[in-house]
Amino acid sequence: MSQRRVVGIAQMVICRAPDQLACLGLGSCVAVIVYDPSTKIGGIVHVLLSKAPTKCNDPEKYADTGTRKLVSEMILKGAKKEKLVAKLVGGAQMFSRLNLSIADIGRLNLEVARRTLRELGVPVVASDIGGTHGRSAIMDTLTGKVTIEAAFSPVRVI
Amino acid sequence: MADRYDERVIEVIKEFASIGAGNAATALSSLLDLELMNEVTSAKIVPLSEVPMWLGGPEKVVACSYTYLCGELRSGVLAILPDDSATMLLKHLTKQEVDLSAITKLQLSALQEVGNICLCWYLMAVSKMIHIDMIPAPPDATVDLLGAVLDIPLANLGAKVDNVLAVHTSFRALEKEFEGYFLMLPEEATFNLILERMGVPKK
Repeated sequence: MSQRRVVGIAQMVICRAPDQLACLGLGSCVAVIVYDPSTKIGGIVHVLLSKAPTKCNDPEKYADTGTRKLVSEMILKGAKKEKLVAKLVGGAQMFSRLNLSIADIGRLNLEVARRTLRELGVPVVASDIGGTHGRSAIMDTLTGKVTIEAAFSPVRVI
Repeated sequence: MADRYDERVIEVIKEFASIGAGNAATALSSLLDLELMNEVTSAKIVPLSEVPMWLGGPEKVVACSYTYLCGELRSGVLAILPDDSATMLLKHLTKQEVDLSAITKLQLSALQEVGNICLCWYLMAVSKMIHIDMIPAPPDATVDLLGAVLDIPLANLGAKVDNVLAVHTSFRALEKEFEGYFLMLPEEATFNLILERMGVPKK
């Protein structure tokens, strides 16, 4: 029996086939989704902010520390580093009229996640990012496919 | 959660909620040109992690207006309408058919105005009650998944929020009925200050 596990904000979950992992209602948050097709180990970290402060108790909240932790823990759990591929979902600009620098945090989250993955040598093979609307991401660890659901657009699979 | 706060605090939150929501309803009445009755059906302190479930799940489609306080107090403030309530309200306001999946510029602008009025009048009442200025930034509104609209308010406070003052209110006018939520996401210091000003003794 496969099980669907929901990954909340600032949470990280790693699992094996046939389980599914889901991030529901991603706005400016980014789901960094990493998968090893050879062992069918998959993981998601659901990050809220881009860069962690020097003293940081919750690495899963930030794109840089969260992505690093996800990759290293997946390797600890038996995933093969050279097989890892990543997909990015989220990073929308939800409120464009706000006079807040944080209104652009979605783009920053994506930028930092991409840079960190590049530094780690994990290629980004697909993404559903940016724009002004939220979405949910559901990863199937059997295939590594990610299903994207949004409020008003058709379902797509990446 | 409830056991962390005594009944006195809950009473204070209810008072705060009904005065704020009542004021917002009055403002909304004149905008809609309707005699609007409102009733606060629930007011409580909800842990942040339970907010999406309390409002019907992170994938529920809502119309959300968001602002934040500038100045002494640090808090995000949201007015949220479930999709059916938002549709009804916009239909009445714009005298047009409304499809939230293809919302027009005019309709979005009307929604932003509704949010602006509700939030400002809500805060005005609360501000008078606790004798602290609450100066909201110009709000913005959008229609989207509930989980998605909560991201920016959370990111803005760096997720330094544990307690959400959550208010559910139902509005009635003629044969129409709709519902809305007010959420305040105060930083801890702001939350404590509000309680103190409302006369809740410090623990």
